[in-house]
Amino acid sequence: MPLIVIGLSHHTSPVQVRERFAFADARIPATLELLRGSGVADEAVILSTCNRVEIYAAISGSAQQSMRGLQEFLVHCHDYRDPLTDEIYTLGEPQSVEHLFKVACGLDSMVLGETEILGQLKKAYDLALQHGCTGAVLNKAFQKAFNVAKQIRTETNIQRGSISVSSVAVELAQKIFSSLDDRHVMVIGAGDTSEKAARALLSRGARSIIVSNRSHERAEALAAELGGRAVHFEEWAAEFEQVDIVISSTSAPHYILDRTKLQPLMRARKNRPLLLIDIAVPRDIEPEVNFMENIYLYNIDDLQTIAADYLKQRKEEIARCEAMIAEKARALLRGRRPGSPPLSQPAFSHE
Amino acid sequence: MSAVYSIFLLRKGFREDNRLNYLLLAVAFVLHTVAMFQRGFSLQRCPINNLYEATMFIGWTIVTAYLGLGAWPRLRFLGAFAAPLLFGMGVYAFILSLGVKQTTQPDFSGGWQSLHAALIFLSYGAFGLSSLAALMYLNQEHDLKFHRMRALFSLVPPIQRLELIIVRLLMAGFVLLTAGLLIGALALTPPPGTSYWTDAKVVWSIIVWGLYLTLLILHWRFAQTGRRFAWGAVGGFAFVLLTFWGFSLLSGIHNP
Repeated sequence: MPLIVIGLSHHTSPVQVRERFAFADARIPATLELLRGSGVADEAVILSTCNRVEIYAAISGSAQQSMRGLQEFLVHCHDYRDPLTDEIYTLGEPQSVEHLFKVACGLDSMVLGETEILGQLKKAYDLALQHGCTGAVLNKAFQKAFNVAKQIRTETNIQRGSISVSSVAVELAQKIFSSLDDRHVMVIGAGDTSEKAARALLSRGARSIIVSNRSHERAEALAAELGGRAVHFEEWAAEFEQVDIVISSTSAPHYILDRTKLQPLMRARKNRPLLLIDIAVPRDIEPEVNFMENIYLYNIDDLQTIAADYLKQRKEEIARCEAMIAEKARALLRGRRPGSPPLSQPAFSHE
Repeated sequence: MSAVYSIFLLRKGFREDNRLNYLLLAVAFVLHTVAMFQRGFSLQRCPINNLYEATMFIGWTIVTAYLGLGAWPRLRFLGAFAAPLLFGMGVYAFILSLGVKQTTQPDFSGGWQSLHAALIFLSYGAFGLSSLAALMYLNQEHDLKFHRMRALFSLVPPIQRLELIIVRLLMAGFVLLTAGLLIGALALTPPPGTSYWTDAKVVWSIIVWGLYLTLLILHWRFAQTGRRFAWGAVGGFAFVLLTFWGFSLLSGIHNP
């Protein structure tokens, strides 16, 4: 019984199309039952995330016919009547198995190597499993996909390093401080990136957030969102003594933090390490500050360079990952029982 | 072998697993321990009575402490700094051994003398390891300061934890040195016609004690942290390494 995939992803369709094909979690069990009842698929798993909607199916009939049937089912399910060109793709073996493995490893994700998709895939599989919609073919394929994802993660650098500015900030903090658990973070200027960085630090255990902004209302709103405390812009220096990480993103046309201001503040902090993340353009913090002891200053270019280097490193690993995945897919298909040969017709087609 | 492998680890920016280096040093430690015990049993005393033995004992204490700390995988990279130092000390001890005449029993007898020497050499081991942790700190801190990617790629611990390790090793070394010196002052008596206060090695030991006390006070009371403190730990042990043998040769009591 071959495994086929039909779906659409960020590679083939814009969000306006993807959102119309998305399945709400609550609707998936009923849809799976409907799909099996229609006779198009014997086993099925539906994966619906913000970047992809895919149906993985084990079929007993002709592959071409099943692919057509699945596409009609998908379109009919969402009552989609607009013309479709290359948005929906269908894959037969061995590409369908390789695709499943790639998705599990984050190789097909928008953010290359991201790990969130593995959790989403596990959840989709568990849902189908609980409702008895999977069988020998999908069980084996999905279990193998999870194993391959684990192997790829441990043996390659595809998931290593941070490729967003906010996660680079967290990684830097983890290289400086013994633990983030008792760190105090100050956000000066409530911008979008600084908010993301603050959230990322909080999610890794940072103890408290102090927000300071020229508009105190905006500071209060962000502080409330992050579970922190707002201080007036003129008073942020008074809070500096207890702070370990500063994220600055004001629109000030001049430096708000320079050597002269920092020297007495560092003395008051007993020279504890201080991580300064300056994501403002023009910059908020005088670059010479980095030459002061126990101060580590990174501006937006530094963070973006690190993120780009990590991405480059991940891209260099793609070929190695794909070779591993192809080998694992071949091994899985070789292990199949006789009577279910791989498809001979073209396995990939856009309809 | 470990020293050569350490160069490879340093060039790789500590991205490789460090188990092999740990294993090599563990094997060397076992062989060294067996050799030291055999020497001790054959001489019927703790084998730290000449410069060769003292040098080897300091090396042994450094490896002992390293193997203990290496139980935490991220601290195993200390071995990459320890191995070249140990290799250098081994070569130096070998050169010293060429000129060593095996002496008879030392002037001081009994367990106090062995304990006095063992505690002091253990303290040098702790100081040595703290200087290695400090080198690791300086390396990582430099990479973070100058935005080198290898600071993020490397598997070494955060610099704040490294600083804590330096402080704890210095404290352990200082306590051991204090205990060793007190035993020397209270439980042992100098040979007739000599005085502790005119002995070069005793004066030197007090200078070393004062140096490490100053370093710790500067850290605790005057917030001397980070690079400056790490350089202090490196400089302190460099002073010990460079002057230990010279003052031992000048000493009448400590140069049997």
